[in-house]
Formats: sequence, structure tokens, C-alpha cells
Amino acid sequence: MPVVTLHKDRLERLVGRRLDEIKAVLPYIALDIEDESYEYIKVEYNPNRPDYSTDYGIARALKGLMDVEVGMPKIDVARSDVRFIVDSTTDVRPYIVGLLALNGRMDEEDIRQLISMQEDLHMGIGRRRRKASIGIHDYDKVKPPFYYTTVDSGYSFVPLNHRSSMSIKDILSNTDVGREYAYILDTKRYPIIRDSRGDVLSFPPIINADLTRVSENSRNLLVEVTATDLNAAYDILAVIAVTLCDMGFSIGSVEVRYENKNGSDYRDHTTATGSIVTPDMKSRSMSLGLDYVNSILGLDLDASTVVNCLKRCRSDAYNHDDKIECVIPRYRIDIMSAIDVVEDVMIGYNVSRLEPRYPRLKATGIRDKTLRSLEYARDILVGLGMIEVMNFSLVSYDLQYKMMNRANKGVIRVKESKSREHEILRDMLLPSLLDVLSRNVHEPYPQMLFEIGKVFSYDAENYNVACVIADAEADYTRAKSYLQAFVRHLLGYDVITEPMDSPYYEYGRAADIKLKEKVVGSVGEISKSVLENFRIKVRVSAFELDLSELLKM
Amino acid sequence: MITLHDIEYKLLLAFYEFDLLKNEIVTYLTLSLDDLVNRTGLNIDQVRRGIEWLRYKGLVNVKEDERKIVTLGEAGRRAVIDGLPEERLCNALKSLRSPLGVKELKGVVNLDEDEFNAAIKHAKEKGLVAIHNGKLIRVIDYEREKDNEYALLKRVHDSELLYKDSLNDKELEVLSHSMKRPRYIIEKSIKQVSVSLTEQGMELVKQIQSGARIRSIDVTAPAPIIYAGRRHILQEVIDEVREVLIGMGFQEIDGDIVQYSFWNFDVLFTPQDHPAREMQDTFYLDATKEDIHKVVSSELIADVSKVHERSWMYRWSINEANRLVLRTHTTTVTIRYLAEHKPKEANVFSIGRVFRNEKVSYKHLAEFHQIEGIVVSDDVSIRDLMGIQQEFYRRLGLDKVRFWPTYFPYTEPSLQSMVYHDRLSRWVELFGMGIFRPEVTEPIGLKSRVLAWGGGLERIAMLKYGLDDVRELYANRLSMLRGMPLCQ
Repeated sequence: MPVVTLHKDRLERLVGRRLDEIKAVLPYIALDIEDESYEYIKVEYNPNRPDYSTDYGIARALKGLMDVEVGMPKIDVARSDVRFIVDSTTDVRPYIVGLLALNGRMDEEDIRQLISMQEDLHMGIGRRRRKASIGIHDYDKVKPPFYYTTVDSGYSFVPLNHRSSMSIKDILSNTDVGREYAYILDTKRYPIIRDSRGDVLSFPPIINADLTRVSENSRNLLVEVTATDLNAAYDILAVIAVTLCDMGFSIGSVEVRYENKNGSDYRDHTTATGSIVTPDMKSRSMSLGLDYVNSILGLDLDASTVVNCLKRCRSDAYNHDDKIECVIPRYRIDIMSAIDVVEDVMIGYNVSRLEPRYPRLKATGIRDKTLRSLEYARDILVGLGMIEVMNFSLVSYDLQYKMMNRANKGVIRVKESKSREHEILRDMLLPSLLDVLSRNVHEPYPQMLFEIGKVFSYDAENYNVACVIADAEADYTRAKSYLQAFVRHLLGYDVITEPMDSPYYEYGRAADIKLKEKVVGSVGEISKSVLENFRIKVRVSAFELDLSELLKM
Repeated sequence: MITLHDIEYKLLLAFYEFDLLKNEIVTYLTLSLDDLVNRTGLNIDQVRRGIEWLRYKGLVNVKEDERKIVTLGEAGRRAVIDGLPEERLCNALKSLRSPLGVKELKGVVNLDEDEFNAAIKHAKEKGLVAIHNGKLIRVIDYEREKDNEYALLKRVHDSELLYKDSLNDKELEVLSHSMKRPRYIIEKSIKQVSVSLTEQGMELVKQIQSGARIRSIDVTAPAPIIYAGRRHILQEVIDEVREVLIGMGFQEIDGDIVQYSFWNFDVLFTPQDHPAREMQDTFYLDATKEDIHKVVSSELIADVSKVHERSWMYRWSINEANRLVLRTHTTTVTIRYLAEHKPKEANVFSIGRVFRNEKVSYKHLAEFHQIEGIVVSDDVSIRDLMGIQQEFYRRLGLDKVRFWPTYFPYTEPSLQSMVYHDRLSRWVELFGMGIFRPEVTEPIGLKSRVLAWGGGLERIAMLKYGLDDVRELYANRLSMLRGMPLCQ
């Protein structure tokens, strides 16, 4: 989950309240305090609120909940005649939106916050830049109009933080960011943003040009967002717009003109003249019934209280009798339906004021039948003096097959596991039990262990039970005694054991367990070779049963 | 009722002779301390101590006697080895051709002055020789075997310790004879402790013989250690939580671990390009099952895809939904239950394993247990959800709980809970919860409201058992499993 660093003095200044008051409110706008030092607090925010990616955004929400400033933040967008002219990018990265941010002043921390927000937006809404990516430029270094076009791999410019120019090909293979995101551009022509003088602003989604690098001296910014998903681009732009506005910039729109007549994609989003104006900061309206709100929250609020709660969440709201009209700012991309607005009412009301109440539950409690039977099995084995162990369903191939001298058949693997210990789903419990024995060779014997757990095959997952008996004299007879006792006490049946061969049981000392003509498991002395593999120095006898099958009988 | 120390028991058993054929005691003995040492195998200090105890209990009589012992002196020893002087005299006489006078004999026989005289004296007494005309005549041959005196001297020589009172009258007579010979016999008096059973002692022995249990044991001595069988420590937490929930009126359900992405993500309104669905975070199976169209109604698939496309504005893919995953939360089980049963009212819970493709550390596992509870009802609210949580924690002994807002893709509003742990003296994050979004409940045809809550169980187990490393719960160290008491 993404993290924001809140410098304490900045935060106090931005919110206009004391730090101790602010700290008490932070959890109530759904922020988790991760770390605190003398200078700052680090908080984690949920990815549904990208507007929390800077301290400005968090301060905006805090001001609302703490009644410092309520209602929708005012964002004026002045129309400019700056243009983006788009051609030939349809196949690779079709969309671009942007804005101007004028007459602002940023300090070092502002820039850091901006960069952090950019990263979070790239990872979140941008889906690791594939859906959308952002370029923030020093506007004074470039001259409009801007061209969003494609070039070949030999094209070169001076990328950010470099001193000499590099070709596209070079950037993709020889820079960290190039290598990381090259996979997004599966193409022979690469997107480039140029200005009217031919200077490169950016090579999206990879890297900006060094020319437009933003610093504390930058007074005017140009922001562009290129994308494969236009909605993602708009959402991102709205979050950036409101943040830059809070920073003190005046926001200006840009016109995006599609010169390329190809592609039906453009038809949905273009005006009649084949162009769009961005950013889109249009707010949305949503209606809410008072009863609905109170029913979800378990409260008895009147309409004006609900309106105030919504205003504290930085929306605008009005009530006509018991219907509440909520006007939602553009940057609130998390609000999808009425229920999201109800949550805002809850937050505006403040969760700390909600009193738990115990409902009258009309249904009754009951055990699951199969799980109840597993309990019986457990009881019997504990009664026989055995200790239950718990192992993972995901095991390594070595444990399950190699160390047991088993040939593999029908191994169910997981893809791209982060650990070799979690590679395949186990098809029997015994190997894990032997593993436990091997890790307890210095503990006193006898050691009698059991496990009840799920085992997996291609078409089913069933519960098995397995026991191991380890000491100097553990033998087949002992295992069979316990097996008999178990089945008799569980079901009242006697088992039949018929000789069989198995790679992990000692030759001539293993049997299939049969109940009502069906093979339900196996019992035997673990072979010396397997014991050696596990470095177990005592004798081990064991049995394993298909418990699900048994319980069906 | 008498109880005997092991030593006393052994001593008592030394005091009688038992006839195996007649199966009865034939005689009670009087024994010396040395006898007792030999017969019992105890050392002399143990015997002394044991006899004192038995005497105190009135089971034995102890008499101190003086006894005379006889041992051989230097001359006596020589006589045993070389023969008595009279023997040597007679052997010398045998070798003569003609009898000699006493004086002449002296020079021939290898005896010194005293011995010679003694030889003649004793030989005369024993009727071996006679003096005739001043010459010593052999009467009969000396036979060692027939010489009582030699026999006696040999016996004294061979016995380590010969008590004078073990000699019969005839032997005593012979002894007094030998004692007249200078440096032959040494007589000494030694103190003797002799022990015999009292009547009570004899009674007791008879009782022992008939099998009465009189031996006492050392009850403070350690006994062999055995270990009780027990459930796994995590299983006990699962059982406790299960009991609490059933007690609160919740029905337990169970479900598959292997699930279609459709149930694990799509029905739960998680967009198909959500980061949580990436292989980084989720275990996808390298296997396929039958197409989802065969197991889920096309209506449901259509409704879910519509909701996705409308809300997230992307193209929903059936292939993505078809992929098999190891469930990442137990919510998958409860949502399937709801889709199948469409109850108007229900309280349901499930406890089971869930899987995340994570790197294992002291805080995280790739496989762990989750509890998921839901309440389906027409008139429940977020406050009721908080109330249920509060009651649940209270029954687990956690009285202080706080709630604040959070986010999940499938619930709105959403809250998370924190409980105050007394021993750790801090707030610990516990469960997440919320009301299922209409985007979740409408496609599956649920008309009622659904409260849902849940979280990992390992956290609760770690708090209960005071563990810092979650991996401990699956390490199965027998020292821990054997050592962790059930009452915590």
C-alpha cells in the first residue's frame, strides 16, 4: 500500500490546526500511521483515494473533517490556447490529456511530494504505467504547440538526468527505467512529445527530457498524461489538477487535437471538430435517500446533518426534503454508486461517534457436518496419545517426491511462486509428517504425531488423516494397532490389510487398507532408504487414510 | 501395618532357610554381621543401619558376644606344611636299617633340640614308637590322614577364621593337646554381634512369604516422563473461535481451496487488472478445470461482466475469470454459499486456509488461516456489524476495541478493528469488515443486506501464545507442542 511522508510543520500549516489534534483525526480518514519521527509522520493510504498521494490531498481531507474548510474545493480552469496535436500514436499509446499550471512557487518538499504522487499514480491508476503515465515539465523551457507523434528507434534526445543524447533503442536497453518499462511498447514506432521548436519533452511512458526538468525555480508547469485508457488519463489529470491548485498554481486547460483520421476510438471522446479540451474537472451529481443512508449506517440523521457530513468530505450537498443531492468533485474517482456517498456520510459523521449495537440475529448456530466428523477423528487420535501437527498444503517437489523415492504423477504446480518451499499442492500428508520427525530428532522418543488436512488431485480436494510412530521399536504391528483402534472408534468397522508394495514403505511390510471392498489408505514401516533421506535415526511406522472417503461410509 | 525399607526387607529375608520341596521355612538362623553382608549383598554400613532399624521395630534381637577364634602360630603353620615333628621322626626311622639309640638318632633326624624332644614325646603318646633297650623302635607307621591332630591343624590353617565354638568336643580335646605345643595355636577373643529374629520378626517373615506387600517405595523419586496427546496449538485457537461463533448463532460452512478467479475476484467486484490479481500476489495453478460456463449459469456470468464493464469501464474477459487460483480469502467460500442458497436471513462463517504469493517472513506466510463471517438480513447496519465484532472480541477476552474506516473492493462502507492487548500494552490491528456492495449482491440475486467481516487467525494465536514470529506456528517443534499448556 502506498505511503506518504507528512512533515509535521508543513501539515500544521496546511491544515491550520495543531499536530496533536491532527494525529487524532488521521485514522478517521482511513489512514494508517506507519512510522513517526520527530519531524514527520508516515501514513499508508488505500489505493481508492489517489488524491491522498500528497500532504496537500491529506490536508484537504483533514480540513474538511476538522471543519476548517468544507464543501467542494474551488478549482477554476482558465481556457488557454495551448494545443497538443496528435498523430500516428493510435496503435501504441493513443491518448493524451494535459493542463497548464501557472504562477506557482514550489519548495523542495513540494517537488518531493509531486514526484511521490506521480509514482503512486503510475503504480495505481496507471497500472505500472501501462494504462497511463505522467510527464510534468517546466513550461518555460518549451514553446507550444506540442506534437504527440511517433518516431523510430534511432531517434535521440537528452533524457532526464543525462548530459548527452541517447537514442530510443539505447534508452530502452541501457537505462533502468527503460529496461523496466520497455515491455509496454511492443512496437516499431515509439511515442514522443515534441514542441514547436522540435525539442523533445518526453518519451512516454519511459522518461522525460532533461530540458524540461522541474526545479524550485519553475514557475509554470505543463502536465501531460499519455495513456492506453482514456478514463484513467482523465482521472489522473483531475487528481494532479486539484493538487497543483492547492499548491498555489492557476490551472489552464489545453486543447488536444487529433489530426489522424484513423481509429474509431477517437469518435467517443472528441468534439465535432475532432478535438478535446482537458482537464475535465466536471463534477457529478448523485441522489441519495435519507432512509437509505440511515438504514445503512444504523443512525437517525436528519437531512441537513447528512448534508454537513458530505460537505466535510469536500463534496457539495443540498437537500430537498428527504432527498439529498450530492455534488462530487472530479478527483473523487472512488465514488461509483450511491453506496460510496453513504460511506462519505459515515466519514463526515466520524466513525468514532458510531456506537456499536448488537442486532437480533434470526438464524442459529450449527456445526458443519464434515468438519464435526474431523473433530471426532482428532479426538480419537489425541486420546491415543498422539500430538497433532500442522503443515502447509503447498510443499516442495523434493519433499513430496524425491525424498520419498516416489515417481511423480500428476503434480499440481503453482505458477511463479516466490519460494521453492511452496511449489506444488501436496497429494498426501506423510512426507510432511516425516519432515516434522526429521526436525525433531533431538526430542525424546517415542514420538507419535498425526495430521488431518486436505490433499489435492486434479479433480478433487479431500481430507486425509495420517499418523507416524517413531521410536527404536516402531513396527508394522504397532501402526496397525493404532490404525485399527482409530477406525473402530470412529466408525465401528474393522479394516482389512492386504500386502502391497510401495517405494516409501519397507518391502514386505506394507499394506493397502481396505474397508467395504475399497482401498482407503495404506499402512507400513517406512523404508530405511527414506528414513535416511530424512536423516531419521529411529524406526518409523505410519498409516494414511482418505478421511473424506471413510466418512462417506 | 508395617512398612519396611528396602534394606530392612533384604535383611529379614536373610534370616531363614526355606525348603522348596516342603514349601516351608525350616529354620531361623542366628547371623553375624558378616554373614548378613554375604547373604544380602549390602555393605557393612547398610547392614549395621538396617539391623538398628529392625531392632528398634522389635523385629530382631541383637546379642553381643565374645567369641574365641583360633589361628595357627608360626610353628603350627610349619607343621602343616612340613608335617608334625613326630611325622618327621617316624619318616626318619623308616629310612634306618637298624634301630638307633635316642642320642644317635638326634644327629640323624633333621629336627632341632626342642622339636626332637617333642617329637619323641608325642610319638610315644600316639603309640608310634617305643623305647626298647635304649633304642627307639618303630611300632606303627605314621599316617597323616589318620592323625586327628594334623587334621585339626590343617583345618585351622585352611579356614580364614575358625571359631572355637564351631569345634565339637572331640576336636576341642585335640585342640587342647595342640595348644600345649609352643607357638602352634593362637587363641583370640573377638566381639561378635549375632542377630536373630524375634517372634514378631518371624511372624513378619511368614507374612512376606505369603505375599504380603510390605515394601515401601521412594515416593519423591522422579517417574518416567510421558507426553499427553494434544491438538495443534493453532487448531485450538480455531476451535475456540469456532465455539464463540457458534455460540453467537453462526452456522459453519466449508469450501474448496482451489477456486475459479470468477469466485475469488470477479464476483467480489475486483477488476481484472487489479494489482492483487497479479501473479506477484496470487497463486495461479498450472492446471485447468472445465470451462466455467459448465459450472456457473450464463446469467450470472453476464451480470457480473456487466457490472464490471459499467463500473470499471474495461472489457471483461471470460478467460481471466476461468483461471484457477488458490483462494486468497475465505470470502470466496461465503460468497459462493450466498450465490447458491440466496438466503433471506443467515449467519454463516467459515474458517480455512488462504494463500498469497508472498515471501515468507516473521510477519507473513504464503499460506495461513482466515475467518470469514457474514450476516444476511434485511435490517442490519454498519453499527450492527460493529456490535457483532465487539461481542466476538469480548468472548475471546479482548474488551477494548476501536473501529475506523478503510477500503476493500467488495465492501462499502468498510471498517477495520483494533483491539487493545493488555500483555503487549498496545493496540493491535485485527479484522476488516464492511457491507457487501450492491455490485456484489445484485448479480448473485441477493435481496437482503450482507454484513461481512474477517481476517487472519494467526494473529490471534500469536497474541494468545506470546509468539513474535508467525512461522513458529507451523514449525511443529515438539518441545513447543509438548510444552505449551492448554490453559493460557
